[in-house]
Amino acid sequence: MSDENKGQMSRRNFVKGASMGLLAGAIGSMGVYSYAPWRKAHFAETKRKQTDIGACKRIKITNISETSWFDNATLMHDIKEAGGLLVNQYDYNWPPFGDGKGLGKGSYDKGIKTIRHLLPQKLGEAWAIQRDLAVNPDNSGGYSCLIEIEETSGRKRRILLDTGWSYAWTDESFKREGIDKMLANKEIEGLFISHEHFDHFWGLPVTCKYHPTIDLFVPETFYEEGMRYIKDSGHKGRVHKVKKGLHVNPLGIPGFATFVFDVPIICRVYGEQSMFFNVKDKGMVSVTGCCHQSIIQFAETAYREIKYDNDNLHGIYGGLHISPFENWDPKYDDLVIALGRYGFDKIGCNHCTGVITAKKFIDAGYPVVQGTARYRSKDTAYLGNGDVITFGA
Amino acid sequence: MEETAEERFGQGYLQERKLVKRWPGPVPAIASLLLTLIIFYASWWIFQDPRGVFRNYTPYVGFSHTTWWLIALVWMTYVFNYWPFKRGWLEKAHPLAKGAVLTFTSFVIVYVFIALVFEGILGNLGLAYFSESSLMKLEGVTDFFANEYAAFSCLMFATIAAWLSPAWIVACEEAPWRDLQQPTKGFSIWVMTFFLTTIIYFLTVHSHMSILYYPWQEFAAITPPWWQSFANTVSGAFHLGWIVCCIVSLWMVETIWGRFPFILIRRAGLRRLATFFGIIAIAFCMYFFFHFIQELAWGEAIRGTRRLMATDWRWLHSAEIAVFFLVPALFIYFYCGNWPNKYSLAVNALIRTIIAAAAAIAFYILYYKTSHLFLGTQKGFSHPQQFPMIPMIWLVNIWLVHHWFMDNWPGWKMVPKTAGEIAADREAEKAKIEEFGWSPGMGVGLGVGAVAGVLLFFVAVWATPLIASAVNTIPE
Repeated sequence: MSDENKGQMSRRNFVKGASMGLLAGAIGSMGVYSYAPWRKAHFAETKRKQTDIGACKRIKITNISETSWFDNATLMHDIKEAGGLLVNQYDYNWPPFGDGKGLGKGSYDKGIKTIRHLLPQKLGEAWAIQRDLAVNPDNSGGYSCLIEIEETSGRKRRILLDTGWSYAWTDESFKREGIDKMLANKEIEGLFISHEHFDHFWGLPVTCKYHPTIDLFVPETFYEEGMRYIKDSGHKGRVHKVKKGLHVNPLGIPGFATFVFDVPIICRVYGEQSMFFNVKDKGMVSVTGCCHQSIIQFAETAYREIKYDNDNLHGIYGGLHISPFENWDPKYDDLVIALGRYGFDKIGCNHCTGVITAKKFIDAGYPVVQGTARYRSKDTAYLGNGDVITFGA
Repeated sequence: MEETAEERFGQGYLQERKLVKRWPGPVPAIASLLLTLIIFYASWWIFQDPRGVFRNYTPYVGFSHTTWWLIALVWMTYVFNYWPFKRGWLEKAHPLAKGAVLTFTSFVIVYVFIALVFEGILGNLGLAYFSESSLMKLEGVTDFFANEYAAFSCLMFATIAAWLSPAWIVACEEAPWRDLQQPTKGFSIWVMTFFLTTIIYFLTVHSHMSILYYPWQEFAAITPPWWQSFANTVSGAFHLGWIVCCIVSLWMVETIWGRFPFILIRRAGLRRLATFFGIIAIAFCMYFFFHFIQELAWGEAIRGTRRLMATDWRWLHSAEIAVFFLVPALFIYFYCGNWPNKYSLAVNALIRTIIAAAAAIAFYILYYKTSHLFLGTQKGFSHPQQFPMIPMIWLVNIWLVHHWFMDNWPGWKMVPKTAGEIAADREAEKAKIEEFGWSPGMGVGLGVGAVAGVLLFFVAVWATPLIASAVNTIPE
């Protein structure tokens, strides 16, 4: 192109300029607009659905067991040696799916084959086999709690959230709190499994031993092994595969709803079911197994989905999955800093919340209900095994 | 090693080699893609996969190996120009032999830096967070997390270096050492960029590592970190994000943009400054945009929450989206002859960018729909132990080995260019720059293009939530 032509408006010059302008305009807009305050004009306003779930008068929660494992170092060493937190939980070779092949070399099929014929009645025998075959069987504990709901009419309802891990420890804990008898007498109406993790779900045969026809509520996101384990555990009752989202008044209990979150979880687990209770004149109480979705997400979901008394977030019970292995990450500090904005009146945390987190909550001045550190719970900073918390009159 | 005055090692090797296709049409590119994907999957299984042999995708251990491998490749090729390997060997050795020797060397570099320099020396004698064994001395810390923390601290150094070291070559054009011989030049650039990396590291990562402890180590680091009010998180994921975007931006400028538009600046000092800071500016534009499209797709991030809605994860995922863009950009450059080439610099760059962006979107959807089926990962976007940038960078590393160390063998054959061809290339490049030189006639086009670019941005803003709700990326 001659120098004379370069200065002229030609198709070629126009395209060159336009190409450069297009890149500059698009990239420049990305930089100027994308993190500027006015970008927020594009966000949809939160519409509150205000679903009415009714109200209950009071809930009482008995911590059957929050000690999912007894020694962090042992559990984390197993995880490290097996290949980390993305390894499928059925492959670790932990009980009750041990097959004697060692860490990270197990599978559901090989493990269950060794004990299937003994479930759910001969749990002692089954556990004895697993103590020989599995990796670190004595480190397993489990998470489970009893929730007693008093309706406004005075009628009392009982449900279980989760069913522990070790058959031996779960059975012992059930007996300690009288759960075995309540189950055998069918005083407990339903077992809600928060998620498929070993420490919340693998103790299922213990519940089935006492009440094999109990209504079972599991997130629909359970993997195939989990669904097979329900059958292999000797469960004979109805299995409710709870879909993602809100479920109002399961078992016809007023003031009670569950919500299944679409969330990927360590050790190849997917989805978590958590509980909402609207306690009359108090407000919303959140009860969780591990709360992998985060307590803040859970609170935001309550705000978005449900109508609750005084528009108040009243209480929390359960694992909050912040530092389950007493690990720490600065993003957890974001949670500690932000939680105060939600104004919970009563925080009954334990399990995967982590002792460090409970201490940070206490340091931050949050209303943490402290425990008694009995029955192998480690610290009074949070509610331990056998401790009870109530919400409502 | 005895070296002659004429020995150039690999200086200019990449520019002065001619890659001749062995087969017609797209066959070499397709064959290379298949071959590298097979190598990727085999090596992923051996080193990274949670079901495989070494299972390093814990994730930080695998992440650290991946980023250190990347920087080792960059140091060997861009900074040291293959020194101490001689030019004759580079030109004559079989690509398989070159690939094996040079890759083994890169593994030795990775081992030396991770195990000896960082963990062994710095971690045991200086900063505890570089060493698993030093962290294990703290009460309550388990070996798994001690290893993860040490790996994270180590990988962040490599990540910063993976931006700054090539930036000194691409943007600063090796100044002021460009006329020196190897290894003097390489060591000069290496020391300078290592120094800058250390400065950036202390500004961006040290505070993150220091608030890993309870209570915060306020005597050793600034706490809460200085970025928290801007980034809405105390997590260093904010920095990991923009630094990865700088790496992506740098390689985009170097490859599919052919250093355009900075190459048009005639004054060397100004060009180098503009390129260095321009790369950072483009990186932040991408970074904020990728953050914004997540807000449009999933809603505004909430500080303190976890997973999909968490601020720290959103920053991290912005970087992950950027890496999805890097993969097709490099494929165009390495295996498609940086197609197209027949138009002006701007048009070529624009077309390649559009192709890379479209491929990145398709690749992103494909990855989240299928990766859990073969990478040993978990389905879903925001698994806390899952970083798509690890397999992406692992694949990029394999391509770098294939392109830099193996001359794209077997799809291509390396033939050294003659002096005449090298001179002709330089003339052609000069001519393209000359031809593009600014003219008032481009002004109208520039204005129209800029308006179109702004409109394109707002169309993307409008379309993102619609696409996000229409495309079910995560399988049931």
